[in-house]
Amino acid sequence: MKKTLQYLALAVVLAAGPLAGCNSKLDVEPVDYVLTEKALLTSADVEAALIGSYSLMSGNRVYGGYIQFIADLLGANGEIAFVGTAVQPREFIQKTTLVNNTFSAGTWTDSYQAINTTNNVLANLDKVVAVRKDRVEGEARFIRAALYFELVRLFGRDWSDGNPQTNLGVPLVFAPTVRIDAASQVSRNTVSEVYAQVLSDLTIAKAKLPASNGFFATKGAASAMLARVYLQQGRYAEARDAASDALAGNRYPLVPSFKDEFATTTNTSEDIFAIQITAQDGLNDLNTYYSSSQRGDIEVDTSFIKVYDANDERGKLFKDKTYTLKYEQQYGNIKVIRSAEMHLIRAECNARLETEEGATPLSDVNTVRNRAGAPALTTVNLTNVLAERRLELAFEGFRIHDAKRLKENVGSLPYNSPRLVLPIPQRERDVNPNLVQNPGYL
Amino acid sequence: MKCKLSTHLKLFSLLALWLFAAPIRAQTQSISGRVSASDGGPLPGATVLERGTTNGVSTNAEGAFSLSVQPNATLVISSVGYATQTVAVGNQTTINVTLAAEATALNEAVVVGYGTQTKTSLTGAVAQVSGREVQNAPVPSFEQAIQGKAAGVFIENSSGKLGQGIKVRVRGTSSVSGGNQPLYVVDGIPIISENLSGTDAATNPIADLNPNDIESMSILKDASAAAIYGSRASNGVVLITTKRGKAGDTRFTLGYQTGLSKPTNRKKFLNATEYVEYFREAGKNANLEAFTEGRLRRYSAGNDDYKTGAVNTDWQNEAFQRAPFEQYDLNVSGGNDKTRFFVSGLYSNQSGILIGNKFEKMATRINLDQKASDKLTLGVNLTLSRTRNNRISNDNAFSSPMQIVALAPITPTIDPRTNQISGALDTLTGDPNSNYPTYYNPVLSRVGASYIATVYRNLGNVFAQYEFIPGLTFRSELGLDLLNQEENQFAGRVTSRNNGPNRGDGFNRRLTVARFTTNNFFTYRKTFNENHTLEAVVGMAYEARQRKSNSVTGQQFPSDNYKTIFNSALITAGSSRETSNTLLSYFGRANYAFANKYLVSASLRIDGSSRFGVNKRYGYFPAASLGWVVTEESFLKDQQVLSFLKPRVSYGLTGNQEFDDFPARGLYSGDAGYAGVPGQRPFQLANPDLKWESTAQADIGLEFGFLDNRISGEVDVYQKKTRDLALNVNVPGTSGFVRQFRNLGKLENRGIEMALNTRNFVGDFTWSTSVNASINRNKVTNLDGQVIEGGLLNRAIEGQPLGAFYGREYAGVDPANGDALYYLNTTNADGSINRATTNKYDDAQRVLIGNPNPKWTGGVTNTFGYKGIDFSFSFQGVFGNDVYDGGGKYQSANATGGFDNLTRDQLNRWQKPGDITNVPRAVLFDTPRPGNNFGTGGAGESSRFLSDGSYVRLKTVTLGYNVPSALVKVVYLQSARLYLSAVNLLTFTNYKGWDPEVNADYLASDVNTGNISQGTDFYSAPQAKTYTFGVNISF
Repeated sequence: MKKTLQYLALAVVLAAGPLAGCNSKLDVEPVDYVLTEKALLTSADVEAALIGSYSLMSGNRVYGGYIQFIADLLGANGEIAFVGTAVQPREFIQKTTLVNNTFSAGTWTDSYQAINTTNNVLANLDKVVAVRKDRVEGEARFIRAALYFELVRLFGRDWSDGNPQTNLGVPLVFAPTVRIDAASQVSRNTVSEVYAQVLSDLTIAKAKLPASNGFFATKGAASAMLARVYLQQGRYAEARDAASDALAGNRYPLVPSFKDEFATTTNTSEDIFAIQITAQDGLNDLNTYYSSSQRGDIEVDTSFIKVYDANDERGKLFKDKTYTLKYEQQYGNIKVIRSAEMHLIRAECNARLETEEGATPLSDVNTVRNRAGAPALTTVNLTNVLAERRLELAFEGFRIHDAKRLKENVGSLPYNSPRLVLPIPQRERDVNPNLVQNPGYL
Repeated sequence: MKCKLSTHLKLFSLLALWLFAAPIRAQTQSISGRVSASDGGPLPGATVLERGTTNGVSTNAEGAFSLSVQPNATLVISSVGYATQTVAVGNQTTINVTLAAEATALNEAVVVGYGTQTKTSLTGAVAQVSGREVQNAPVPSFEQAIQGKAAGVFIENSSGKLGQGIKVRVRGTSSVSGGNQPLYVVDGIPIISENLSGTDAATNPIADLNPNDIESMSILKDASAAAIYGSRASNGVVLITTKRGKAGDTRFTLGYQTGLSKPTNRKKFLNATEYVEYFREAGKNANLEAFTEGRLRRYSAGNDDYKTGAVNTDWQNEAFQRAPFEQYDLNVSGGNDKTRFFVSGLYSNQSGILIGNKFEKMATRINLDQKASDKLTLGVNLTLSRTRNNRISNDNAFSSPMQIVALAPITPTIDPRTNQISGALDTLTGDPNSNYPTYYNPVLSRVGASYIATVYRNLGNVFAQYEFIPGLTFRSELGLDLLNQEENQFAGRVTSRNNGPNRGDGFNRRLTVARFTTNNFFTYRKTFNENHTLEAVVGMAYEARQRKSNSVTGQQFPSDNYKTIFNSALITAGSSRETSNTLLSYFGRANYAFANKYLVSASLRIDGSSRFGVNKRYGYFPAASLGWVVTEESFLKDQQVLSFLKPRVSYGLTGNQEFDDFPARGLYSGDAGYAGVPGQRPFQLANPDLKWESTAQADIGLEFGFLDNRISGEVDVYQKKTRDLALNVNVPGTSGFVRQFRNLGKLENRGIEMALNTRNFVGDFTWSTSVNASINRNKVTNLDGQVIEGGLLNRAIEGQPLGAFYGREYAGVDPANGDALYYLNTTNADGSINRATTNKYDDAQRVLIGNPNPKWTGGVTNTFGYKGIDFSFSFQGVFGNDVYDGGGKYQSANATGGFDNLTRDQLNRWQKPGDITNVPRAVLFDTPRPGNNFGTGGAGESSRFLSDGSYVRLKTVTLGYNVPSALVKVVYLQSARLYLSAVNLLTFTNYKGWDPEVNADYLASDVNTGNISQGTDFYSAPQAKTYTFGVNISF
């Protein structure tokens, strides 16, 4: 009996004794991931995070498709029909977006994911070697600005609609997120504050970016994005000058044949900024929804195709007179800014301001028309420029934003209808009560 | 002190050596005897065991045995199907025993964590299921065969696809974001049971086991039974014991089974004439008449047949196939005093009811026990298996066979323009059709695509057990579960409408999961002074799991004849991944019984896990229980009615750590390259305080037997309170993250379980009945205000059961204009709820509309026997749950979803003012009325598509015939049995869909919201109804 108890006591001691120090077996390190504290130590680390920002920006719910086709569907007025079975895109074209629409929620969350990554880059700029520091900063600011601009246009009222100083835009977040706490429940900044931030980021980016930078953001891209932002604000002189800056030195000549500009796997001369999609990386959701070889969910109405001149190459870039052929390449790049747009911005602004800075409106419009094989115009007025914009930039994510700034009705809805502004996603409001919903939504 | 595991193991070896060397002097005594059955014949293969030791033998063919035992030993003589007898040896040298045919299961050994106990002395809640319940069940995985057979264990198939993930819930769902499946332990070794699928639909590694190898299953339900498995015990533990050899003649058992499966139900859809009429009306109401006519013609293969109804295709038929089943199995067992073995092999080949679905299994096993000396026993359990699963797309894919029902009945199966399968080729381009038929035709995947998952599984352990002194043994087990899986997917050109114009898509993934386990523990059993019985277990375990995978995806194949990625011109993706975790544990348990009347048990497990945050490395999981065998009291000795009565009570803590391997760490991921340039991104926020989910469970049980245990059973009431939920908490997206893993929130499960077994007739004609029923009430008690959504309408809401359906409440149809109406359910100024209706979906407030969790579940099995004939049938029922038909918005929403064919109930749509119906006006694409900017066709997710999912199923029916032994002996056989069996023969339900037992696979396997996603049907295949014929012979 006594002996038995001794055995048992020994067994217990042996089993429990080493507990105090036997931790090492439990120190298992991840292999697929890197610990945050080891992720941003060197210049290369920070530069890799910058690439990560591009990758996130190229996501299908960001510039990989959603940003553009949500704008097209929201702005659609009979030119296109959504015939797919998916309910959520149809909500956009019917202007009946529900607060729980996961497409718009995805654009919101994924854009902020990219923004947080740029914030990490910007907070660690001191680690970047001097020769690349300006470029890295410029690129990060360009990405952040572009996404805030898209977010404020989709989720806030237009600049021209009411008072941007009081209208709510989207929350501005600048600090890298290290923890979630009460401070994470950010409030919406005003439309005006968001635009100010966008302009500030782009202005710095323009100053710091190099003229040539592969397919990454360049000085030209920052100028072009500035032109777009100013145009949306109706600041025509600044928009015109920024467009001229982008076009300066004919750095981005139009591709000779219109159709060759599209469905390319590399950037063309005309591309000021494009999202890179490769077979290994990225998803071109414009291809998914527009191309008849994919879902073919978005069909173009013949009435729209008929507007093109018979000789206009742009009117022939359709399959079966139903599907646009702009997105036929599954792994094709997504053109975010083409220089044709800059010609049209400059033409519009010159026409409005009755100036001829950079080029005459007639010359800019005809530059675009000539390339497409459309007969040259002899005179142009604002109406002609705006008509040209619709023909040239169709299905590239411009429609709703143009309709709003031009105060055009979209179907029976006035330009400032709350239905043309996306609701703040329900998932966001569920976790952040400080986010005020847009008018017209619960 | 810093130490390594090896040091630790060395210490154990040292101890072992020291104990080996210790002089142990004991005298032994030889006894021999014979065991006979109550009918007088010899009982071969009965176990004769010296109580409190592992010293024992089996009787030979004549029922004889001989054994050396300690002085004053007690023999325990047992045999399956007979009541165990205990005989004090005293100074006898010959002991002859007659075993009575088993009256009850009370003396049966119950496998518990790191040991066994008798049912009588058990103070925890353990559901036992005999291996007989799963033998020869025509299903891929054994859990499917015990559906409705164990109280407190809810088992649900996600659909009728084979080899898919199966939901098993022991006493409710206790985690929101972590795993909820029980821990599976085979012969002492925890095994790989996690979903390893490379797609959105889960697979089930448990299906690799051969059900015919299973001797018994113990499902540990309360803390007393389960807490010895510590941080993995909250979801219950399923202990599986495989068959072992017995001393005696070598016995061969050969089985063959063949059968056929069919779907349990079909849905009814519009025929061609109805379809055309319906869509013309829907087109007219949408002001799309010409467009509609064009589409009808297109879907009618471009001809006018649709106008006459000449083509009327029932596409549903095309989703199903003839589904044969066959199984061969052989096992051989036997041995002598020193060596015992069990060897088995099984091959089964089962076709699914859905086109292209098949599950094939080959499994072998060898279990070997060797008595090296009186003190030392060595053994090995080893199983090798291969399963091959011809998988089909997940429920949410156009290529999923069930989605075929969306095709128009006016579309011919064979396109008359090409004489090919509809959709195969475009007549103009030769490319696959992009707009004919309505959607991708899943039959094309049947002919042009394949997806084969092959698993090679090697599950084995070796063990040694040494008895130092009588009653004190040390057992060491070393187990390895090695799983190699290959998934090989190919989709040829003909599928390009589904996969993209890639001239073939290939995907190949290989995965190796290795799980190493060692258990080392002492067991001490001793009875002191007659009345004091002590059993104690103390030991340690270490487990390490590693998972490595790689995959490659290619496109552009020279032709569809080339299917390996070797032949692909464009590699579009490739990956290799690795992850691992470790668990270091110490455990102990002591059971004390006084005079077999008063029972006390206590246990403790300490688990250290690599998954926990650095601040919370070790978790402590204690449990205690008490029992009182009232019928052992003298005051109950003199009555005949109550034969057994034991109240018991237990309380303890268990944990759950089934989540990712590194949820506590702040991480960056390098998966953010861009156009060939490497990039990284923030991936996860750190949480160094992350720990296990903790469940405190209280259980009160009563076990009883009446009339010599002709009526026996048990009732349990329990409460499981889970806190520190490891929750994938939604965080503001503006942070750059959408979720964070945190210990936050509480939930609870309360329930009552009842199991009752009666032997209604004994004698030549036998009839026994077994009934079980379980009620579980799940409630999320605290989520700190978080709202977590899953499925299509499921939510985790405080105060409600997990996964409650939360959405807009459908109010029917406005008789004036056919608009769908919803209850506003807004709160009025006075706090009342506004029950007015609106036709504007967005204006209606979301409310609780249903609950996917059953109110109660149960089963009844009746078994009859008469001479050589046996007959049994089992009903299984699930009651009070709701099912949401996620496909309703397409199949049953009055043409708002497009040209999908519709269920016949849609014929009852509103057509003219005054019509009273629940189906709104047919309107194509839910086009808004002129002047409206919102659709009113009722397509939005709402209670419109929710219905009661209760059902009762005639789960199994078996009729067997045992050929009389006189007859079989003529052909030198020992026994022969023929049987007919049917699974899911009848289903009784009000559910309008295919089958109420459903949980759309792509939602259920979502890592973030899978637990919340419950009871959603999305073109999910019905269960299979399977008929089989089988024969078993032994010789």
